[in-house]
Amino acid sequence: MYKAFQDVISNVSATVLKHEASLGRPVIGVMPAYFPMELIDAAGGYPVQLWGNNLPIHHADAHLQGYCCSVARSMMELELRGSAKMVKAYAFTTLCDTLVNLREIYNRTFTKPDVVLSMPMTRTMEARRTYLKDGLKSVASGLESITGQKITDESLADAAACHGRTRELQRELYQIRRDKPGLIKNRDFYSVIKAGFFLPRAVYNEMLSELIQKLAPLEAPEGKRVSVVVSGLVFDPIDVFDIFDELGMDVVDDDFANGWRTVSKDTLQTSNLVEGVARYLYEAAPCCCLYNADNDRHDYLVEKVRSAKADGVLFWYINFCEPDAFDAPLLKARMKEEGIPNSSIDIDLTTTNLDAVKTRINAFAEILEG
Amino acid sequence: MTKFRTVSKMKEIMTNYYVEAKTTKEKPIAWITSGAPVEFLYAMDVIPIYPENHAAMCASAHQAMDVIDAAEAAGYSQDICSYARTDFGSAMTKGGPVGGLPEPDFLLCSTNICKTVIKWYETIARVKKVPLFVVDTPFLHEGLTQGLIDYSIQQFKDLERFLADFTKRPFDKDRYQNVLEMANESTDLWMSILRLGKTIPTPINAMDAFIHMAPIVTLRGTQECVDYYKELLVEVEERVEQGEASIPNEKYRVLWDNLPIWFRLSRLGKFFTEQQCAITAATYTNSWGGMVKGKWESDDIYEMMAASYLYNYINLGFKERIEYLAKLIEENSLTGFIMHSNRSCKPYSVGMYRLQEEVSALTGKPGIVIEADQNDSRAYSDAQVETRLEAFFESMDPVVTA
Ligand code: SF4
Ligand code: SF4
Repeated sequence: MYKAFQDVISNVSATVLKHEASLGRPVIGVMPAYFPMELIDAAGGYPVQLWGNNLPIHHADAHLQGYCCSVARSMMELELRGSAKMVKAYAFTTLCDTLVNLREIYNRTFTKPDVVLSMPMTRTMEARRTYLKDGLKSVASGLESITGQKITDESLADAAACHGRTRELQRELYQIRRDKPGLIKNRDFYSVIKAGFFLPRAVYNEMLSELIQKLAPLEAPEGKRVSVVVSGLVFDPIDVFDIFDELGMDVVDDDFANGWRTVSKDTLQTSNLVEGVARYLYEAAPCCCLYNADNDRHDYLVEKVRSAKADGVLFWYINFCEPDAFDAPLLKARMKEEGIPNSSIDIDLTTTNLDAVKTRINAFAEILEG
Repeated sequence: MTKFRTVSKMKEIMTNYYVEAKTTKEKPIAWITSGAPVEFLYAMDVIPIYPENHAAMCASAHQAMDVIDAAEAAGYSQDICSYARTDFGSAMTKGGPVGGLPEPDFLLCSTNICKTVIKWYETIARVKKVPLFVVDTPFLHEGLTQGLIDYSIQQFKDLERFLADFTKRPFDKDRYQNVLEMANESTDLWMSILRLGKTIPTPINAMDAFIHMAPIVTLRGTQECVDYYKELLVEVEERVEQGEASIPNEKYRVLWDNLPIWFRLSRLGKFFTEQQCAITAATYTNSWGGMVKGKWESDDIYEMMAASYLYNYINLGFKERIEYLAKLIEENSLTGFIMHSNRSCKPYSVGMYRLQEEVSALTGKPGIVIEADQNDSRAYSDAQVETRLEAFFESMDPVVTA
């Protein structure tokens, strides 16, 4: 059932090249996180999401210090190796200090054009809109000059419907996972989500609906297994999910930037784009990188664990990710206060030896089995 | 290095400032980032307290590691900016040269230095249960634009409303105007002092400027600050007239990019003196010197204020950073430049290898990147840094005197 998705993630280049040819659209590499890809589709581009990879770092060392996260380092490695040739342009957001500067490095080092969506981090709502209005104008014209096509009301509405449909289907899949823990293996689940980073919407949506239909009549395996919510920036290296599978643990929900924090976003409202993008960014799940005083991460995570009936939370820390590191101590303290067991793993995307991670997850599972 | 007479005066005004902050009964206290628009606070009689300045003090007094250990023991990762770790640890233990900071009534944070401060201040807000006001001054990927100015002004106006609500009296526009004038005057004085760096031999070394910048960071907008820099300016001018140098036999003149290594100031000061290398200019000290001059024109005080808070060195895109670095090298007749790749400060450091290459290519001057940290001495090795610097000194052509 999952083979098609797995094939995509183990052959990313081939997949993207194939669809690039059939769509005849320029590939736009979308950097982390929350760039409204609807705009790229509406301008006739083919958005491909880059969340880092597991390439060993050889070339990126000359550009990025060892204290930069492996997400940034591995993306730079990809470009420096010439493995991102099909990417014609990049779309950045101002997610964190590292990515803000990474954009500047790309801009000085490579010749590919780019657009940057600067995300307003203020509690002044009026100002947020003022700023987004300006920012979106420049993003739209930047995309139009990259693709050579105009964004029209119609193309935007179509793209919004298509992307909105993707997230709706993904939410159905998340719901199935909650309702029937163990039915979808952890690795399979994240292979499905990850395949979506690279496929054109229409193709992916069809694959997703087919999968959901197949899953509908199936039941969860008998017996109670240990269940956890996982929280972090990106759910890679994906091999970590094999560990959960081997140990018979079910991830019943997540709080990943490239998981639920994105999946939870409603269909982009395009009739008033500024308002639509403001909602897109700040409503739905909170993120450590998006300052929003009205959307508390602590309450949110407690509620998630409770409603998913999870036994505990595992924090999945990508080394050197400051925004995540800042939140961790108080978030963990709150979990403790609420009587929610938690543990954490520290990892790089490029980590190949997962023994230490396995030991930690195993120890956590034993506590939860209690 | 020859010390300035005003050093004792500075110690006095800084002590008075901390004493007032720690003893006040009437005035509210706000913790504020070094790049936040403090003028609004002074206008409403709020005492600003700068955790960054305090963290630097802890490190200069060699008391940072103890408090950093406390923060790490409480779960704060070594990956977090060491200023924030110092601040968290000092709040937990009341450690550091002033025995911890006075409690905040609210927080004011501006993103023109980094996004990290949002995380830092969100954490303080949770721990201390006080309100946080963020003034977002976005990174200038494409330079200053009217959109960015308007965005900042809207937040300034909201900040005025916030302060009026908080203090339960209307925002004092006249006072604000007055504070702004004093802030501008001290900024101008500070910049005049730094500009004298172009004199050969260097009258004021950045190693001195790092110490003497405390008032411009913390007291900008007060009369004490204006008076202090008037005095310092006189002293630096005297040195210029008398041809008095900051170090004997100046052979090299360099730029320092990024924060100082606070816990090694005196050792490095000696080392540079022995090597006959003056640190003539620094992007860090210049950051409080009104860099915006000539970059934006308007009669509106809010517009100019927005422009100056946006146009801050580490808030600039690389094209502008490169041009600025090259300009400093040129104007100050520098023989080379040193870039401190600071593990704590990603906005300042990420991309530094590229900057170094481009600036060298543009100016024909050698540059070097050294790996260190502003506060965390575990990320620093004397031997490694000094060996690299020695090799770098040899690669420079000595300064040409007339
Ligand atoms: S993992 Fe963290 S530090 Fe790295 S790019 Fe993502 S948000 Fe930034
Ligand atoms: S040292 Fe750098 S990261 Fe830390 S608060 Fe200052 S600007 Fe931000």
